[in-house]
Amino acid sequence: MDFIELEAIEGLRWSWNSWPASKPECSALIVPLSVMCTPLMQSSELPILTYDPLLCSQCGAVLNPYARVDYTSRIWYCPFCYAKNPFPRSYSGIGETNLPAELFPTYSTVEYAPGRKIPSPRANPGGPSLNSKHNWANGLSSTSLASMASFSSSSLSSLGGDLRGLGPAFVFVVDACTAEEELRALKNELLLVVEQLPENALVGLITFDSMVRVHDLGFSECLRVVLLHGDRELSSEQTQQFLGVTHIKQQYLGKAPVIQKQGFLLPVSECEFNITTTIEEIHSSVQAMLGHRPQRCTGTAILAALGLLEGCLINTGSRIMVFTSGPATRGPGIVVDTDFRNAIRNHRDLVNGHAPYYSKSSSFYQRVSQRLSDASIVLDVFALSLDQVGAAELKGPVESSGGFMMLGESFESSQFRKCVRHIFNRDEEGNLKMYFDATIEIVTTKDVKICGALGPCVSLQRKNNLVSKNEVGEGGTYMWKLGTLTSKTCFAFFFQVSDEQKVQPGSAFSIQFITRYRYGNMGIRKRVTTAARRWVGSHSPEIAAGFDQEAAASVMARLAINRAEKCQARDVIRWLDDGLVSFASKFGDYVQEDPSSFRLSSNFSLYPQFMYYLRRSQFIDVFNSTPDETAFFRLMLNREGVVGSLIMIQPTLLEYSFDGPPIPVLLDVRSISPDVILLFDSYFHVVIHYGSKIAQWKKLGYDKDPNHENLRKLLEAPELDAEQLVAGRIPAPKIIKCDQHGSQARFLLAKLNPSVTHNSTYTNGSDIIFTDDLSLQVFIDHLQGLAVQS
Amino acid sequence: MAALVPRGAPRPNSNSNNPSQPPPPNYNPNSNPNSLANNLSNLNLNRPPSMPNSGPRPSPFGQPPNFPSSAPLPGVPSGSPPFSRPGPPPGALSRPAVPPSGSPQYTLPPNVAPVRPTGTPIGQPSPFGYRAPPGINAPSTSGAPPPGAFPFSGLPSGPVVSAAPPGIRPSSPSPPLTTGAVLPHSSASSGFVSNGPPAFTSGALPGGPRFPPASSASQPPVGPPQTMGFAGATPQAPSMRSLLGNPAIVAPPGTPLQPTSPFSAPPQGVPLPPGSYGPPTWPRHPGQVAPPPPIPGSVQPPRMFGMTPQPLPNQSMTAIPALGQTGAPVSGTSKIDPNQIPRPIPSSSPMLYETLQGNQANPPPPATSDYIVRDTGNCSPRYMRCTISQIPCTADLLTTSGMQLALLVQPLALPHPSEEPIQVVDFGESGPVRCSRCKGYINPFMKFIDQGRQFICNLCGYTDETPRDYHCNLGPDGKRRDANERPELCRGTVEFVATKEYMVRDPMPAVYFFLIDVSMNAIQTGATAAACSAISQVISDLPEGPQTMVGVATFDSTIHFYNLKRALQQPSMLVIPDVQDVYTPLQTDVVVQLSECRQHLELLLEIIPTTFQNNRTAESAFGAAVQAAFLAIKSSGGKVLVFQSVLPSIGLGSLSAREAEGRTNISAGEKEAHKLLQPADKTLKTMAIEFAEFQVCVDVFITTQTYVDIASISVVPRTTGGQVYYYYPFSAVSDSAKLYNDLRWNVTRPQGFEAVMRVRCSQGIQVQEYHGNFCKRTPTDVDLPGIDCDKTIMVTLKHDDKLPDGSECAFQCALLYTTVYGQRRIRLTTLSLPCTSMLSNLFRSADLDTQFACFLKEAAHKIPSSPLLQVREQVTNLCISVLLSYRKFCATVTSSGQLILPEALKLLPLYTLALMKSTGLRSDGRIDDRSIWINYVSYLSTPLAIPLVYPRMVAIHNLSPKDEDESLVPPVIPLSSEHVNDDGIYLLENGEDCLIYIGNSVDSNILQQLFGISSPNEIPTQFVLQQYDNPLSQKLNDVVNEIRRQRCSYLRLKLCKKGDPSGALFFSYLVEDKSPSGPSYVEFLVHVHREIQMKMSSS
Repeated sequence: MDFIELEAIEGLRWSWNSWPASKPECSALIVPLSVMCTPLMQSSELPILTYDPLLCSQCGAVLNPYARVDYTSRIWYCPFCYAKNPFPRSYSGIGETNLPAELFPTYSTVEYAPGRKIPSPRANPGGPSLNSKHNWANGLSSTSLASMASFSSSSLSSLGGDLRGLGPAFVFVVDACTAEEELRALKNELLLVVEQLPENALVGLITFDSMVRVHDLGFSECLRVVLLHGDRELSSEQTQQFLGVTHIKQQYLGKAPVIQKQGFLLPVSECEFNITTTIEEIHSSVQAMLGHRPQRCTGTAILAALGLLEGCLINTGSRIMVFTSGPATRGPGIVVDTDFRNAIRNHRDLVNGHAPYYSKSSSFYQRVSQRLSDASIVLDVFALSLDQVGAAELKGPVESSGGFMMLGESFESSQFRKCVRHIFNRDEEGNLKMYFDATIEIVTTKDVKICGALGPCVSLQRKNNLVSKNEVGEGGTYMWKLGTLTSKTCFAFFFQVSDEQKVQPGSAFSIQFITRYRYGNMGIRKRVTTAARRWVGSHSPEIAAGFDQEAAASVMARLAINRAEKCQARDVIRWLDDGLVSFASKFGDYVQEDPSSFRLSSNFSLYPQFMYYLRRSQFIDVFNSTPDETAFFRLMLNREGVVGSLIMIQPTLLEYSFDGPPIPVLLDVRSISPDVILLFDSYFHVVIHYGSKIAQWKKLGYDKDPNHENLRKLLEAPELDAEQLVAGRIPAPKIIKCDQHGSQARFLLAKLNPSVTHNSTYTNGSDIIFTDDLSLQVFIDHLQGLAVQS
Repeated sequence: MAALVPRGAPRPNSNSNNPSQPPPPNYNPNSNPNSLANNLSNLNLNRPPSMPNSGPRPSPFGQPPNFPSSAPLPGVPSGSPPFSRPGPPPGALSRPAVPPSGSPQYTLPPNVAPVRPTGTPIGQPSPFGYRAPPGINAPSTSGAPPPGAFPFSGLPSGPVVSAAPPGIRPSSPSPPLTTGAVLPHSSASSGFVSNGPPAFTSGALPGGPRFPPASSASQPPVGPPQTMGFAGATPQAPSMRSLLGNPAIVAPPGTPLQPTSPFSAPPQGVPLPPGSYGPPTWPRHPGQVAPPPPIPGSVQPPRMFGMTPQPLPNQSMTAIPALGQTGAPVSGTSKIDPNQIPRPIPSSSPMLYETLQGNQANPPPPATSDYIVRDTGNCSPRYMRCTISQIPCTADLLTTSGMQLALLVQPLALPHPSEEPIQVVDFGESGPVRCSRCKGYINPFMKFIDQGRQFICNLCGYTDETPRDYHCNLGPDGKRRDANERPELCRGTVEFVATKEYMVRDPMPAVYFFLIDVSMNAIQTGATAAACSAISQVISDLPEGPQTMVGVATFDSTIHFYNLKRALQQPSMLVIPDVQDVYTPLQTDVVVQLSECRQHLELLLEIIPTTFQNNRTAESAFGAAVQAAFLAIKSSGGKVLVFQSVLPSIGLGSLSAREAEGRTNISAGEKEAHKLLQPADKTLKTMAIEFAEFQVCVDVFITTQTYVDIASISVVPRTTGGQVYYYYPFSAVSDSAKLYNDLRWNVTRPQGFEAVMRVRCSQGIQVQEYHGNFCKRTPTDVDLPGIDCDKTIMVTLKHDDKLPDGSECAFQCALLYTTVYGQRRIRLTTLSLPCTSMLSNLFRSADLDTQFACFLKEAAHKIPSSPLLQVREQVTNLCISVLLSYRKFCATVTSSGQLILPEALKLLPLYTLALMKSTGLRSDGRIDDRSIWINYVSYLSTPLAIPLVYPRMVAIHNLSPKDEDESLVPPVIPLSSEHVNDDGIYLLENGEDCLIYIGNSVDSNILQQLFGISSPNEIPTQFVLQQYDNPLSQKLNDVVNEIRRQRCSYLRLKLCKKGDPSGALFFSYLVEDKSPSGPSYVEFLVHVHREIQMKMSSS
């Protein structure tokens, strides 16, 4: 079975599709038992059920095709815990010929969208799902529950009494230290966003420089702004008190909560004029003291936004969108001080401990992460600056909330515009394509233990007997919180075989992913994916056959970057190498001590190559990257699906020539040739590289000559393909067109396998790369040598 | 020490300036090109005509020269030029002849005047010719022979002297003649510029050409020099006036103008049209210079020259009237005739007063009288006066007398419009000449010896070398020959241009920050609207110029700043929510150049009341708001004007309703009643000290209807040189106009910023303590972030040695300050008084008004810290001990049955009694009323001290058109209910409040005419004086306006009637009556007498 086809159905990629039954054998696999899961993968055949799921009374699993159903007694047996569950009355008509969709064998994934017709959060609290005491309902984070309860009673009333259809909240946090022209571009973009937001969406605006200004959008006499001091780390309560959005607890004297009317976060419909004027009135406050950076208190601004959202009890999903153009220079989250004589930290400073603010700021943002997650708030950062802005420090909250990060150079760039517009895309019904306030719950057969997850999520620390003590990444739980996710967000889940029971090889086990989220219209949905695989005996060939090297590589990549956050690159590389050598010696086919006899079967063959490119990728090798860039790359990798991850790890290279249709070629310097066009895709960059001849023809304008129609077509083809590649990605990659030997060609050369270098004896007329990095060949040679050692 | 440089000033270099460290000498001013430029420009005054105009102010005259502070103004230059040239030119040497002639004039009695005329004609022509330059030029016709002649150097007397000047000139000119030829060429101008002093020489001559006219004016001189001088000169010799420089100008704008600026009290709460209100008007009228002449003549014909007249009580040295004599036989109470007991007799018309006569200090006229000073060497008593005009030689003598020795200093006091303005002297880069030991400044009492090569300091007695370029030969009389040409050698009050050494930073700009309470109460009572409208109108009165900065903030439980930058479409509000730990927006956002934000500002002030219309926040974060405003202007310093309406209840420096707590806990309240008059805690005090350090002055306008704990709040203004205005109970209808006028006067009155003051005394006497509104951070100096013409500082003195009999004791007050136009100045006031070892001399020269002001201030000072009874007792005892001492040692034997009062102090018992019945010393008043009273007294000027406790009462039901020369204000009525008839209407005012009492059976016709009502029952509680179209109403308005002008206060008007609390209030001011708070006047006299008798017999 093709893994990719399977993925299209399940949304899952398993590093191993068949699991050895014993624990020691599992650990000998080197590549851990893991699943790359894209919970909301788009699928045309997804059945959407308008009722609530049926839950197992014992383990909380959702009824699924793997359940054994006794139609006569109207009972189903949970495939995970084997508990007996009766069908409720609504299922009275059930029969072999009358199956509900969730029992269709082909529907391994179904989506429950109860009460779709009334897309209001209010529809839910009274709904059956909450009344039933089933586990999944308890699984909601307590804050969400609390918020829902109080939402309906209090905060809604505070928001102008319009109970119906409050949309998500957006707080724009704008850096006023941005240069005036840049700011203008940003303002235009924001105006556009506001104009296109659904009427019921809530908006707020915060600007900051050396202080934080929270704009009051409900004030008509003049522009009103609450000013918060840039140096103070305000608690949530303080912020709310200062903004006047405090709500007195209900138990206080038993009086109805008094909520002051606030104007900081209002539905677009109520404040469109005000927010428009306010945005227009944002002026650059750059006051460049000679030799000093502008004063920015980015951290405080984020805190203010957070406090505001917390105070308004908007737990239905909200985004804090930070638009900044430089590093924070004061207050919590400071990156560097204003004096230009002190350069912004680089990787070396971080390693040597010469970044005075780094750890303090990081731990500040760690605390922010926690609060964001508690309130289901997403933090997005748009850093448009020529310099670093402190993305490394900011990465924590952005990543864990599932937020969006973009590093660019200018607000005037199309890249920025595309990003913003993409985020605010709407579906056919006019709902924003945003999924908020999500949780993922995993239910497994009892022999499978849950170790943890890697990806943009936070462990909710819910434990049951399925949770392993061995934690990987966000572990110690069977449920994770996600601020937001997209249809592409992918998580790596790690499992382990229980060491208690002996399982019968050949028997099946299953894993169920229950993703609960708030749809763009704020209605709650739940997607349930159930997958089953088999236990196999030791040394069974099925183990090798079930190896998905691509999934394995992306899982290893996540583990590696996770490790790189804590260790030095050198150690990570060694860890990867050790693993690879053991892996090769376990699964290779060779004669002891004879490197030349080493072979790998086809479904293992690419794995060493992936590892090779991974270890020299920007994810591990931070040389030449700033901490900000590294943070960004890792953040992107950590949420990308298998296919995307692989492109990041090992970019693709297509060759366009007159000889025929485009063909993929080796990511090797020898692929460069004067008469071909190369299309290079490293996910973050797309490079169209014209061979020197083609470049010359282009220069001479042959492509415009009707006699050379084919040249024009040849030139066109990679561009069209590049556009297509770029279209699906956010942030949009940069398209770089370059000629052979041009300076921009470095983007390509840096990634190519340096099989020919200035040290090579024979160049065969190929380009060379000036590097001392080892080439793939040398790497493989060493690997073979080491693998065959006993 | 000598350094008047503000100490703690925030600037960078401040460290260089060690407090204890002497001064400036070594202090290296961080050179500020501007200030230098300023100095130069001052120098330039002497330059060609064009100069004056170059100043920012278009019309030189525009600026009222009278105001010293304003002097710096461009306007000033024009005026001051003549005076400014301190230095005798080298040329001076050449004119030996001069001195003699010159000096005589001074000494000459008025009569001499006649002589002058002849002089005039004399040489003028040629000699003067050369003196084209001085400011004079402008007015003068054509080049060469500038008219300025007279004005010139010393003829200070200018206007005042009247006839004298012209005459004098002549004489002086003559000397020039000799040199004349030479000088001309110098054509001065250039010379002047480079170095002030030398250049001047020439100045003297100027008069030349003008003479003719002048003389004509003066001719008449003969007989009536005095009167004539004025009347005559002004009218027809405008040109001549102008020559005189300021004098001419000055006079006009002055008070006399009343006619032009009637107070036409604004009908309703409506803000007055600018200019309608007294003092403030002056500045406005500059343009009208021309008209002025009439006034001096008509209105205030100076009646006497010098001290001639008998009327002055002080004068009569011998008279030791016994009570019996003056009226009240003591022995039997019954015998006392209430109509005969001593009462103040107001003098109705101004008298002329020369500060120094025959080289002897002339005892000053009563502070409350109307007088015109001619500064002949000692300072005008307006600026500084001593409780006794002779200094006791020993501490014992002083103790025996029972009197106290203290100075009341009011360095920026408003001069009489007819007085010559203070001259500004620029010593160039070297700065004013000072004693190298005590750092005293050069003054007329420094004695030059050794052919002028050395001088002896009259303060410390040290002999100093005369700086080379200040050297001048002595004349036969032992005085420097140029003494009369140099203001610093012939005037008791001069102003020096401060050099770099006196600055720790560039002089600060004028910064005004308005802070408005918008809490629920303020909004609902209309206080916010009133404040906004007042500010809005006052904006145009702020000093013009690029230097003037303005900011506005409002506050309730949070603080709202406003960004007034022009770049914005509209003002935007910046809210500071943290009232515990305050911060501010960027200063550049919220404090903006006035010229740049006028429109936004107007718009803002218009919308503030509506913006907060529905504000439900009752809390008010006064302390935090002031702190925030302070932070906003910290870098420059400036004025914060706060409009507060409720008790500050939240945030930094919040207060509690202590008054109520005190009431509920009666036992504690009784015992510690005075505690409520002390600040609640130290928070505000600490803040205030920091404000002062950064030159921020806070004024508080309290528009309230409840208790606001003024005792605590007032600490801030008090420490920063500001003041508290109190409107209780606030009424938007009747108080808005006063609020506006107070605010307007606050910003337009002569004032200075970042000031430092010190008083130096001759050896043997030293300063014991300063009292007033200031911050004291070093033992010797007082820091005044703000100082204005209304603020008085009491300086108590003590002996530290015996003074030689027959010597003179000098007091010198130096005030270093920055004008509203950013010029740094030193205002120097010197008073030299004879010493005496005769007790009787002390009594003869006692200055009742000053003594009583000191009494008052000391009592006020004690009230918050001692139980009331004790204070009252002390007050009585003070009075008794003085009288006892007199009785014991000075009174010639009389029957012991008589109460004998020293003539000079005969009103002391009356005032003492009045003091005891005043708000501050009564126990029945509201705490806030007493606090405000104490606070008011702390900076109260001498002329206002007595009216405060002994108000003026006049009848207004029978106002009748008066003759031109009669005073506008009707004759005063003693404060006794005997004089209040049921069919009369009386007006009683104490400088702050004005009560109009309407008897029960007043003719309804009169009521209709005056107030538009037909019976006393219709009296409105919120009263606004209106002018109706009938003579009576007009007359009343005239009277009220005249009083306002005299008091420099708009007065809170209130109607009172019998049988109403308002009536009770009125009667509580009738201090001669017996009342719960004290005995009647007669009873009190009896009491005093009895006490004295007892003490006499017991000793």
